[in-house]
Amino acid sequence: MDSLFSYLYIVFLPQVFDGLVVGMAIVLVALGLTLIFGLLGVLNLAHGELYIAGGYAAVALVAAGLPFWLAVFAAPFLAVGIGFMIQQFGLGPLQGRPHYPILTLLLTFGISLILREAAQTLAGPDPLRLAPPVTGVLVVGEIFLPKYRVVVFAISAALVAALWWGLHRTLLGAVLRAVAYDRQMTASLGIPTRLVFIGTFAMGSFLAGLAGVLLTPIYSISPESGHGFILLAFATIIIGGMGSVFGAVVAGLAVGQMFSLGSLWIPPVWAETLIFVAMLLVLIVRPQGLFSQIGRG
Amino acid sequence: MNRISTLLCAATALVGLGASALADEPFKLGLLTSKSGTLAPVGVQVEQGVMLAIDEINAAGGLLGRQISVTLEDDESDPQVAARKAERLYQQVGVDFITGTIHSGGTLAVGQIAEREGKLAATTVSYATSITGESCRESMFRVNAHAGIQAAALVTWLAQNVEGDRYLILAPDYEMGRDATSMFAQQIEAAGKTLVNTVLPPLGATDFSTYFAAIRSAQPDVILTMTPGSDTVRLLTQLGEYGMAPGVYTIAGASGAVTAGNVGAIGEPANGFLTAAGYSAEIDTPENRQFVEAFRSRFNQDPDVFAVDSYSLVYLLKAAAEKAGALDTQALRDAIRGTTWSTPVGDKIMRAEDNQAAVDMFVIEVSIDGNSASFGVKDRVLAADIPIEDKCTAF
Repeated sequence: MDSLFSYLYIVFLPQVFDGLVVGMAIVLVALGLTLIFGLLGVLNLAHGELYIAGGYAAVALVAAGLPFWLAVFAAPFLAVGIGFMIQQFGLGPLQGRPHYPILTLLLTFGISLILREAAQTLAGPDPLRLAPPVTGVLVVGEIFLPKYRVVVFAISAALVAALWWGLHRTLLGAVLRAVAYDRQMTASLGIPTRLVFIGTFAMGSFLAGLAGVLLTPIYSISPESGHGFILLAFATIIIGGMGSVFGAVVAGLAVGQMFSLGSLWIPPVWAETLIFVAMLLVLIVRPQGLFSQIGRG
Repeated sequence: MNRISTLLCAATALVGLGASALADEPFKLGLLTSKSGTLAPVGVQVEQGVMLAIDEINAAGGLLGRQISVTLEDDESDPQVAARKAERLYQQVGVDFITGTIHSGGTLAVGQIAEREGKLAATTVSYATSITGESCRESMFRVNAHAGIQAAALVTWLAQNVEGDRYLILAPDYEMGRDATSMFAQQIEAAGKTLVNTVLPPLGATDFSTYFAAIRSAQPDVILTMTPGSDTVRLLTQLGEYGMAPGVYTIAGASGAVTAGNVGAIGEPANGFLTAAGYSAEIDTPENRQFVEAFRSRFNQDPDVFAVDSYSLVYLLKAAAEKAGALDTQALRDAIRGTTWSTPVGDKIMRAEDNQAAVDMFVIEVSIDGNSASFGVKDRVLAADIPIEDKCTAF
């Protein structure tokens, strides 16, 4: 009994906390993705590149002398700008064409390649660093957590709550959900759906850029960073239910635990495999994901 | 009498002409390296090293009086292209010797073709231990240190110079990482130290923090990491975040883990990172200073390990040619094996048993001072002190 307690306390619990923080980082990246998918039906393969746009912009702004916390607000607007262009000049004109979903997939994939190459050309292939604004480690018993990770966790949790509240408890949220549910009907009621589309894409891009800024002090930034993260974010939103904020949170945290607790018992390379197996199972058994999509629940 | 002497003169002249024509026939070297593709940056240094040495040797009279001519080919960082072009170089251009391949797969292919064609080849870059191990060939030589030599040199030095018996290995979970893990484990055991844990994150892992509890509870003195460059950036920054670097453990790893390119992204946690490498431009000997100066004045940059090894290879050919007194394949091969020759970093021996050069290794320590980083040579591990197992059975 005593050894079970010490196992739980010394090995299990710290691992749970590490996984929680890792999971929240995945949630942060997945939020914008799920928003764009749920509301617009676009699987944005360039989401990872919007993430690095935020990260690189923050590195540049901080290097130019801006304090970190100002950069957190300013840097994501590079991602917003790129996102706006993607929606305005890319996705917008494609609307109503046959095979729209496939076309959006191809378009965003192409854009992701262009952006990654652009990052490589502008910033070089080597990773860049952004010093965390908060250093030091919080130690509680056997649990070690860097203070900056705790801050990122708190910001992410607040964002999730705000996003959920905005979508489900405000008039604007009701409009967004209505557009997701029935585009034609909402348009016929006089809602400017084109504006809603652009606004949603910009919001999703802002979240991607924000994730890039907040996570760069932990993961550094290179042209490949977004690409590495995006597969996990996709698995997360598929498991959680595409378009569901709550689902993204639950699935993201679960994915974090699979990495963290998984590494206690299985070879870590299998953790990633397990996550994609879970994704496949969800697709087979419950294709809509564990939780309902925006506009449908 | 007059006529006879005229004939004699003509004959002598002809013989003389013939002889000098033969002496003027150059020794043909094929430089088959990566000029495009992912390995192109390495190819640049390989070509520079080879060309510098050839020009020096040609200016000093060549190989036994014959000039060295070079045919340059691009293998596009692709082993299959390397094989195709090696065949062309031997059969159509008629080269006697090929060097320059970087990708280990390309080097293995070139070795096979060289053997079939009855010609010679060498690599100055490829790391795979098997090239002069299980897959060794009589016609293929290697002048650079392979992955096993790096591991052996590093652990040998750590065992003698760093306090503590507890070693932990952290390596990406794929073929190269697992190879390195078993090599490190052997060396740790041979040095009489304890391997307390082996952590195998996937290659390209984003977050290493989920392995930190395992590292902390193993209480290692030394962490040996085989993570490649971009993974090392995240590993070290995150160790730094958790207060586990620098200064908590001795952290050592593969050369190429912490580089001039990525050290800026790591910052403070890279301080004290140790690695074993075959070369540093900072090695302070008259021979190396002279080489670095010649290299800089011609190419306007510092030579790296690939450049110096490629440069040294051409001098190995010169040493062997002088030893053999001939340039045919058989004579040259016999002369190369077991020969000692001098390089900018001192004498090297080409082992006769597996065609692998035994080389001194340098322990390099990363120092971070504010925003600047330096890679200082901390110590030299002599070739004689680095155990290399002979796994070559083909000859």
